[in-house]
Amino acid sequence: MRLTRVTSLSIALAIALATAVPSRADDPQIHGLKVQLDGRRVMVDFVLTDAFDDDLVERVGSGLPTSIVYELELLRDRKRWFDRPLQRSSVQVVAMFDALAREYLVNYKLDGKLVESRMARDLDELREAMTEFDKIPAFTLEPLRRRSRLLVKVRALLGSRTLFSFIPTRVNTEWRESRKFVPPDDLMPPPSP
Amino acid sequence: MAFKDRLRRHRKDNRFIVGILAGLLAVLVGLFYLIQRGRDVPETLLNNQVLLFVLWYANIVLILTILFVLLRNLLKLAIERRHRILGSKFKTKLVATYIGLVLIPVLLVFVYATELIQGTVDRWINAPVGSVLAESYQVVEGLYGRLEEESREDAERALAAIQGIDLRDPSQRPELGRRLQSLLGELGADYLAVYDGTEFVHGVVDPRTGITDLPEPGRRLLTAAAAGEPVVRRLDAEGTEARLVLAGATGPPPADGGGESAEDQQPPGATVVLAGVLLDSDLVRVADDLVEAHLRHRQVVVQKEPLEASHLLLFLLVTLLILLASSWVGLYLARRVTVPIQALAEGTERVGRGELDHRVEVEADDELGVLVRSFNRMTGEIKRNRELIERSNRELVEANARLAEERALAAAVIDNVAAGVIASDRDGHILTCNGAALAMLRQSADEVVGRRAHDAWCDPERAQLAELLDPLADDGAPAGATGAFERSRLTRELHLMLEGEWKSFEVKVTPMVTPTGDLRGRVMVLEDLTQLIKAQQLAAWNEAARRIAHEIKNPLTPIRLSAERILQKYRRNDPDLGEALEAGVEILLREVEAMQAMVDEFSRYARMPRPQPQKVDLDGLIHETLRLYRGLKPGVQVASEIEPGTSELMADPEQLKRALINLLDNAIEATDAPGEVRVVAEARNGHVEIHVSDTGQGIPAEVKDKLFLPYYSTKGRGTGLGLAIVHRIVSDHRGRIRVEDNQPRGTVFTVELPMR
Repeated sequence: MRLTRVTSLSIALAIALATAVPSRADDPQIHGLKVQLDGRRVMVDFVLTDAFDDDLVERVGSGLPTSIVYELELLRDRKRWFDRPLQRSSVQVVAMFDALAREYLVNYKLDGKLVESRMARDLDELREAMTEFDKIPAFTLEPLRRRSRLLVKVRALLGSRTLFSFIPTRVNTEWRESRKFVPPDDLMPPPSP
Repeated sequence: MAFKDRLRRHRKDNRFIVGILAGLLAVLVGLFYLIQRGRDVPETLLNNQVLLFVLWYANIVLILTILFVLLRNLLKLAIERRHRILGSKFKTKLVATYIGLVLIPVLLVFVYATELIQGTVDRWINAPVGSVLAESYQVVEGLYGRLEEESREDAERALAAIQGIDLRDPSQRPELGRRLQSLLGELGADYLAVYDGTEFVHGVVDPRTGITDLPEPGRRLLTAAAAGEPVVRRLDAEGTEARLVLAGATGPPPADGGGESAEDQQPPGATVVLAGVLLDSDLVRVADDLVEAHLRHRQVVVQKEPLEASHLLLFLLVTLLILLASSWVGLYLARRVTVPIQALAEGTERVGRGELDHRVEVEADDELGVLVRSFNRMTGEIKRNRELIERSNRELVEANARLAEERALAAAVIDNVAAGVIASDRDGHILTCNGAALAMLRQSADEVVGRRAHDAWCDPERAQLAELLDPLADDGAPAGATGAFERSRLTRELHLMLEGEWKSFEVKVTPMVTPTGDLRGRVMVLEDLTQLIKAQQLAAWNEAARRIAHEIKNPLTPIRLSAERILQKYRRNDPDLGEALEAGVEILLREVEAMQAMVDEFSRYARMPRPQPQKVDLDGLIHETLRLYRGLKPGVQVASEIEPGTSELMADPEQLKRALINLLDNAIEATDAPGEVRVVAEARNGHVEIHVSDTGQGIPAEVKDKLFLPYYSTKGRGTGLGLAIVHRIVSDHRGRIRVEDNQPRGTVFTVELPMR
């Protein structure tokens, strides 16, 4: 009954291929990721495209609370190794249809805390409210121990779907990286003599 | 370890197992209860994706765990079966039976339930209910839309009606109020309000509506309305269950009345008029229900996939649970049988290897428990018996060593005794023959040991020895008949011509009888009497010479005296010469005759012929002989007692009669009146014994040994050859004679003759 190594590897490979989901062009993606510094605050702009599909519209219209979670990571750039994460934050956008008012209530939570709430009167306004972000104060920089460049990664978690009809899997976009940027001088350690 | 041991012990405890099953049942009931109560859980909690994800994955982990346990059980079973572990086939059959019994119905139920749920959800979604709900929702929305349109028209009319009134002029407020009240009746609206931008100016409500407080449209609506955007709002009115449908109309800023100071003047804003129509509470409830039903239907449609997946998971979980339970029950039942059997098999193997301290430690309370306890008892018995056997073996070894030592000692003693010792078994095979016996018989051990006596001693001389060891002599003796064996004790004196030399032996044959009384064989002891007999013969000849000289000297004296007397008479010419001569010659003749008689006696003894055996009528012979002595001596009775069975004696009748006469002569002479001389004949073990007893003075012990020597006499007269002749006759008949004291007095001579 003992499986040979070749058989085990073949089975593992088959499972990996079966469960792997190749990304397509019309899959939701993060675009226009920009980072601006406002003092020590890192302001992030980005747009999520192709996420506001019929399923999401139907879900929101049914009155179910529908959320999109954006995960953001601040990393220190390392050339010959994986970038080192410095901070993490999440932005959760929850939309709920008010059938009486025929409006959409959109709440924004930064790291689980409500930071903003607004009404969207139609789907366009709702799509814009849920997928387009301008100057989100995602991080507050801390003094660095060495001089280095930073970058921000963003991805969106779009809910779940079932694999083989009963295994739930998360639907998310791929990580999108910003351009690398240099923190302000007052956060940098003094140059070595 | 203690916990593991406790767990292992509890695993075999029925109460523990029942408890586990009860716990599992409780968990399932609890799960079902939670599912039922799930309807009451707040929507926010149910809509929490993280919580659902956790619950979902917990479900999957549970399924995977069950699947793992199930597959592990089956895999373990397969491995056990492949390794041919005892009981694995039985386990496999039982588990396969249980799973087979359960699998098909469970799969059928699983498939049917899954299809049922999918069909139900599909019917739910695709049935006309959805379209009806959608159309109802449209109707509701249409109703709301119509009311909103009416309100918007009312607002626009009201806005037109209040044109020219300066809203910021307090003096014109009563006029504003009157116009609004008038419009309320004209338009049929239920609510009218005027705002200066977002600032409330005036509002009126139809008192028939029951509204207790003016509705608050919200700053956001007012801002939008002030910005000229079309606004509508549905508000729950205070004090009533009806719903107010608001719409706004925006007009130019109010005219500047100049009634306020420059400091109090506000920036110009649009005039906003809100008009509202009240929707009846019953309609509101129906509309809300329709909207809610429509939304719920849409939610079901949206959640179709996870709903089906969750049910699929639930059914899968139940199916696997049932399969696991069936396999587990099969394994459990099989284990209850196979574990004790396996332990017994292992125990048997270990006990077979000699581990008698091993005990089967298996909890079982049925017939297998009885078997286990019996096995343990049996092992204990085996151990005790083994210890007993080992102890007995040790004692046996010691006893054997002791016996070997004693046997060696006995063998050394036997080998070194002067007497010859020969032992034979029941069949006459010679078992041992010591060196003295071999030397006496002039044979080697190879010629004797291990052979039958008749084969070892086949020559005529040695055959006499073989006859003494003849097993036929005792064949008729029953087992345990010690007396019979005792009677087979015998003593013989044999004279054998061995390699041209006469050898005389005293042969004693003794039966070897086991403690249980069985005859095992015989022991023959040979005593070489040759030298002793020679010495005795020499002594006898000395005695004979002395007696002959004495007997010859006795007549010589009267002969010499008679001759000297005749010579004197002759020399003196004695006139009595004639008489003296006659008397002397008579004495000479008488003495010569006596000497002649003595010489004849000696001659007869010397020329004793060899016996001529024939069948003897012993009864007649004894009676004929005794007739000679009846009345011979007054007061001395002569009696006889002849047992039947003595008539088969083979002997020389003349010599036998002579021997009897000699013995009776001595007995009659030795017996004083009143007395008795008795002759008894009896047959015993192939021999005839003739006892001649008297009631005389008896014979001293020191004399008994010399009685049978020639020329020995205690009477001081006679030749002393009587008993010697008797001994010679008896010996020539291969018999023997012995003398013993008679009871209560006297002497018994016993003649023992072989029957043939």
